[in-house]
Amino acid sequence: MKLSELKAGDRAEITSVGAETTIRRRLMDMGLIRGTEFEVLRFAPLGDPIEIGYKGLLLTMRMNEAEGITVRKLPVEDRHQHVESARSRVRFFRRG
Amino acid sequence: MADPVKQIRVALTGNPNAGKSSLFNVLTGSHQRVGNFPGVTIEKLEGYLDYQGVRITVVDLPGTYSLTPYSPEEIVTRRYIIDEKPDVVVNVLDGTNLERNLLLTAQLMEMEVELLVALNMIDEVEEKGISIDTDQLEKLLGAHIVPTSARRRQGLDELLDHIVSMCDGQIEVIKNKMTFSPVIENAMEKIVALLGQQRELGSTNHRWLAVKLLESDREVYTQVRQYPVWVKVELVLQEAITECQRLHRTDPEALITEDRFAFVRGAMQECVRLPRATRASLSDYIDTVVLNRVLGLPVFFVVVWAIFQLTFTLGAPIMAGLQFLFELLARSVAPLLPNAMLRSIVVDGVIVGVGSVVVYLPNIVLLFIGLSFLEASGYMARAAFVIDKVMHRFGLHGKSFIPMVTGFGCSIPAIMATRTLKSRSDRLATIMTIPFMSCGAKLPVYVLLAGAFFPPAMAANVMFGIYLLGIVVGLWTAWMLKSTVLKSDSEPFVMELPPYRWPTLASVVFQARMKALMYLKKAGTLILMAVMAIWAASNFPRSSRLDEALVLEKARIEASATSPEVKAGELRQLNSKVQAAQLEYSLAGRSGKIIEPLIRPLGFDWRIGISLVTGVVSKEVVVSTLGTIFSIGRSDQGAAGLSSILRNDPGFGRATALSLMVFVLLYIPCVATLGVMKKEVGSWRPVLLYTGYVLAIAWGASFITYRLALLMQ
Ligand SMILES: Nc1nc2c(ncn2[C@@H]2O[C@H](COP(=O)(O)OP(=O)(O)OP(=O)(O)O)[C@@H](O)[C@H]2O)c(=O)[nH]1
Repeated sequence: MKLSELKAGDRAEITSVGAETTIRRRLMDMGLIRGTEFEVLRFAPLGDPIEIGYKGLLLTMRMNEAEGITVRKLPVEDRHQHVESARSRVRFFRRG
Repeated sequence: MADPVKQIRVALTGNPNAGKSSLFNVLTGSHQRVGNFPGVTIEKLEGYLDYQGVRITVVDLPGTYSLTPYSPEEIVTRRYIIDEKPDVVVNVLDGTNLERNLLLTAQLMEMEVELLVALNMIDEVEEKGISIDTDQLEKLLGAHIVPTSARRRQGLDELLDHIVSMCDGQIEVIKNKMTFSPVIENAMEKIVALLGQQRELGSTNHRWLAVKLLESDREVYTQVRQYPVWVKVELVLQEAITECQRLHRTDPEALITEDRFAFVRGAMQECVRLPRATRASLSDYIDTVVLNRVLGLPVFFVVVWAIFQLTFTLGAPIMAGLQFLFELLARSVAPLLPNAMLRSIVVDGVIVGVGSVVVYLPNIVLLFIGLSFLEASGYMARAAFVIDKVMHRFGLHGKSFIPMVTGFGCSIPAIMATRTLKSRSDRLATIMTIPFMSCGAKLPVYVLLAGAFFPPAMAANVMFGIYLLGIVVGLWTAWMLKSTVLKSDSEPFVMELPPYRWPTLASVVFQARMKALMYLKKAGTLILMAVMAIWAASNFPRSSRLDEALVLEKARIEASATSPEVKAGELRQLNSKVQAAQLEYSLAGRSGKIIEPLIRPLGFDWRIGISLVTGVVSKEVVVSTLGTIFSIGRSDQGAAGLSSILRNDPGFGRATALSLMVFVLLYIPCVATLGVMKKEVGSWRPVLLYTGYVLAIAWGASFITYRLALLMQ
């Protein structure tokens, strides 16, 4: 599926990055390469752009840029550490 | 023969926010120079320091994540490294974010430069409990590593020691090469061999050229394609593409990037221990509020409002103070100059001219204090994130918003603020939108006209409508530009949200001072010349007949035996009459008459024409010129007086007033704005084209307004 189809809180792994050359290269240079696991942190208040978190990095991109990235959604169980922190963040907010 | 002072040139490179500028500042102190890289409007900061008898020149290259040919920053960085061959390239790393930072390091290794690594933010690294095995990392990177903290001024001497000894050849340079996947290495080997046959390509950097060719780097492509060897190289490239697809199911460019990250990941695993529990950081908590679905926009608008208030509300009294100082100067200089002509030149031309340049300084300084605070603290990127959707509709970028809003105060700092936009086309489109945001100087014109021709309740609506019209035309312009001439090279939004940090006072002050200096140096002279030219045009040629008549009239009034009050009143009236006549006689006055046929359809006569000509200096001048011209032969003065004069004038009506407001809103931005625009855009051509466009739009909109208003009467 495409990165743009994920929801806030979803975790996924990148399977390929296609897009117009400039954008593609920028995405790859930011570490979005095959195998990178990330979590969708949130959408902007107006629904676009999207923010994802991985390896301690927060990255934003527009939905039309996210459309070029194909991902494999990961089950919620096998979380990584950084994702754990992102989770607790969400929980923190819900509580407060 | 005395030894010449030894000179060393050092370039600082690193990711955005790695602390390059901070390091540059603490290293070079006050010995700095701001310039531009050739051909692009990217600031080039150069400074120097003397260390152990060596003069070290430091160049702060723009912050980049990579070295592709897709962004001007990256092109500038790699061209500088290749063409200028600095003695040492210092790669500044954000130690708290090594994994991402090391990608650039890997690419610098490929370039085989004299590399020195400054492991910056070491204070935060220690605070967070991250442990880094620098010895092992040195071996892997093939470069010496010096831990530094620009904030605490730590490690600076060690860094300089290393730089000096590297140049003396005193410390051995431990080289290590990045190795790529076998497919890539094979192809590279073949390409290097081929490039070696082409003598024009020199003998260095072939490995780097080969990597770039495999990455389909368009700059290196064009460089190599002109040589006969290209035919063979192309075959190797083709072969590499098929092989890559077969073995790795991807293309060489992606594979190379993956290899670099694999290298980085390996280095991380070997050398870096992150603390066990990565608790959600403060930064994350702030984001849950600041980027929240509900609160995100309100927070954003409060921040924008605060920046606007800081710049203009706080700036207003300072501006008034400056104006007062210049008036004081004018008043104290005037009596010292006996000759009326000289007095006019010095007082009305030079002092007023310099004053009109300096008067924007408070706004510029305050705005950039605010903006560099936003930028260094990390909120700027978030602001862009929050508002991007709206701006993107019109082909603009989230970062266009703050400059545009600033345009409601004054176009000059607003245009300078577009520097935060990285792509040229985004910047151009934003710059061309800003003058339509109705600035503070246009307000007096609206107040005068709306107040004179509409009842108070209606006047507010009219003014609101004018502001709205400006926004609509501005956004339309942006949209039109971005879907035609500026269509290409759109900046991807892909952007990092940096962790929140407290900016250092020094860096905020530095930014503001740099902007102020750039404005004075680059735009200031241009503005001064333009203001003086307009001044000359509205004062010359002078009619000597009028001057003589003035003397005769004065004598007559003096001689006639009336009371002093009457005499003073008559003299005042005479003065304003002569002033108006002189203005009419001057170049500006004549051009007002010349353009009358052109502006007749808009409901304007030559008197309004003159105000439009002088209004090019600054829109508020329209009001004072109208005052001079329309009060011919009348004794009542002041704004209230002027509005009743206009109301009773046969040449003026509601339709004309509306049409004039629209025209003032839209027509040529003032000369100061044009000056700054030229500076930011880089050449006159787009500025002149834009001026033509603006005039056409203003004419069209005013024409429609005038005709509609006439119909509705
Ligand atoms: N704690 C800490 N903060 C630092 C250090 N060096 C810089 N900073 C902060 O990091 C932020 C970014 O620093 P800059 O110097 O603007 O970074 P830069 O690399 O020049 O960024 P660009 O201008 O975008 O290329 C600022 O808020 C600095 O105050 C450091 O050694 N320690």
